[in-house]
Amino acid sequence: MVVDQLIEWLGSLLSWGPGSPLIFLTAVLIAGIPIFLLMAINALVSVYAELKISAFMQDRVGPMGQGPGLHAGKWGVLQTLADALKLLSKEDIIPEFADRKLFIIAPFVIFIAPFIALAALPFNQNLLISDLNIGVFYILAVGSIGVIGIILAGWSSNNKWSLFGAMRSAAQIVSYEIPVGLSIVSVIMLTGTLSMQGIISYQEGTILGILPNWIIFNNPFSFIAFFIFFISGVAEVNRTPFDIPEAESELVAGFHTEYSGMRWSFFFLSEYANMLIVSGVAAVGFLGGWHSPISGFLESPGWGLFWFFFKIGALIFVMMWFRWTFPRLRVDQLMNICWKVLIPIALLNIFGVGIWTLLKG
Amino acid sequence: MSKYFYDIWSSISSSMIGMGITLKHMFLIRKGNVTLQYPEEKWPRPDRNIGFEHEDYNVIRSRLHVDMDDCIGCLKCARACPVDCIKIDIIKVPKGSDIGTTSNDTKKRLLVPRFDIDMTECMYCNLCVYPCPEECIFMTGGPNSPKHPIDYEFSEYNREGLIYKFATVTEEEVQKYTEPELPEQPSEGESAD
Repeated sequence: MVVDQLIEWLGSLLSWGPGSPLIFLTAVLIAGIPIFLLMAINALVSVYAELKISAFMQDRVGPMGQGPGLHAGKWGVLQTLADALKLLSKEDIIPEFADRKLFIIAPFVIFIAPFIALAALPFNQNLLISDLNIGVFYILAVGSIGVIGIILAGWSSNNKWSLFGAMRSAAQIVSYEIPVGLSIVSVIMLTGTLSMQGIISYQEGTILGILPNWIIFNNPFSFIAFFIFFISGVAEVNRTPFDIPEAESELVAGFHTEYSGMRWSFFFLSEYANMLIVSGVAAVGFLGGWHSPISGFLESPGWGLFWFFFKIGALIFVMMWFRWTFPRLRVDQLMNICWKVLIPIALLNIFGVGIWTLLKG
Repeated sequence: MSKYFYDIWSSISSSMIGMGITLKHMFLIRKGNVTLQYPEEKWPRPDRNIGFEHEDYNVIRSRLHVDMDDCIGCLKCARACPVDCIKIDIIKVPKGSDIGTTSNDTKKRLLVPRFDIDMTECMYCNLCVYPCPEECIFMTGGPNSPKHPIDYEFSEYNREGLIYKFATVTEEEVQKYTEPELPEQPSEGESAD
């Protein structure tokens, strides 16, 4: 939406009219800046939240300080800013026997995946970069680009730990794409559209006048589908308990063992952006997107933005909660969960949703 | 088949128990917190029985202290210091000007605008304490000194904090006594410190 409006506006403003490739490029660049800012701010806030949440769950207090200066701000709120400055000023090391070109490209490939996936995420009624009619499919497809970057990083590092991490990650992400896709299929069967805004507008109103008409509450099968989607989503963004690609006690740091400084921080940035996207898709697909939990209450576009980020924040909190509660899975356990539990249940879910929609009319 | 569903059920329920525990810890952080914000908070010092009366016990060399009211600027402590961690500046005041007397009724003749002790260099040998004619430099922190509570941590945020500056002479006083004509009208109010 934003890009279309920008193209129209720029076309009316500038003399050479709409349809010019230059105007398209300008509009896309202008739309890209807030996405980049969103990713950066998301990483800053999420890392601080993660530091604090992990500390509280372990009976610690996390970063603390009495004021700006040496202490990273009151309660350490400037901690992530200081970390970012530290990462920017660190030396950028490329190993001697690394594949130089691939080594340099890999972080950007990983970074691009969440960056372009965010273009289809609707933040409120009007605010989204582009309302694709295949929005969900686009996000799922584009989100898989990241795995190429992980394999590139692992292979080009010329390091056995990195390669192990990359191979594990390939196996894991390719496996967990399937339950993600299957659980989204049950959403699409209900809504009958792939467009993100279409899925959200399906979830307007209430069920029996009490519950919001979100897909998670629509029927028992979609309720299960949400949990399948969320667990597989956590696995897709390589977060603990599914972080075997970077298992620090076994593989040093997995595929980013050899990275340092700014390149490493790109991995970090994209990990948190991936969390944002998985939470965003879960919020759109199952939790009503920008709809308020009480139908008709605080539904303006501004509140829509608030509700959407509230839902995303809650889901990101649950991911952090997972991380600081569960131990890491073994490789065989990971594959067991995916192929023997999540995929059969997701297939049954599709069947169940089909019967449900057939009976309900 | 029933084992399959039982496994799923038991994994979900045990996960919920674990997540409940972490959530409980998160919300009860004020009660369960084990971190001590060290320089701001300190563990209480345990009461202890040291075997004899506290009055007889004054051997702790915790840190140096100077009573600037009594210092006459004789530099004997600075000369006695084996590591030269005491740095003293003195200004000779003009004849006739009154800058007070010490508690031993010695008339002060020298103004001491700088009396720095670098505690990063001090080795607690106590050698500066003996030569002092006015007994104004001493180790504090023993149980016998009620004025100065025991302190053994010396925690500071930067190294400059460990250079203790004892001089109490203000800039105006230094100006006054370095200019020759002013000390003609000294009053009681602006005597020592």
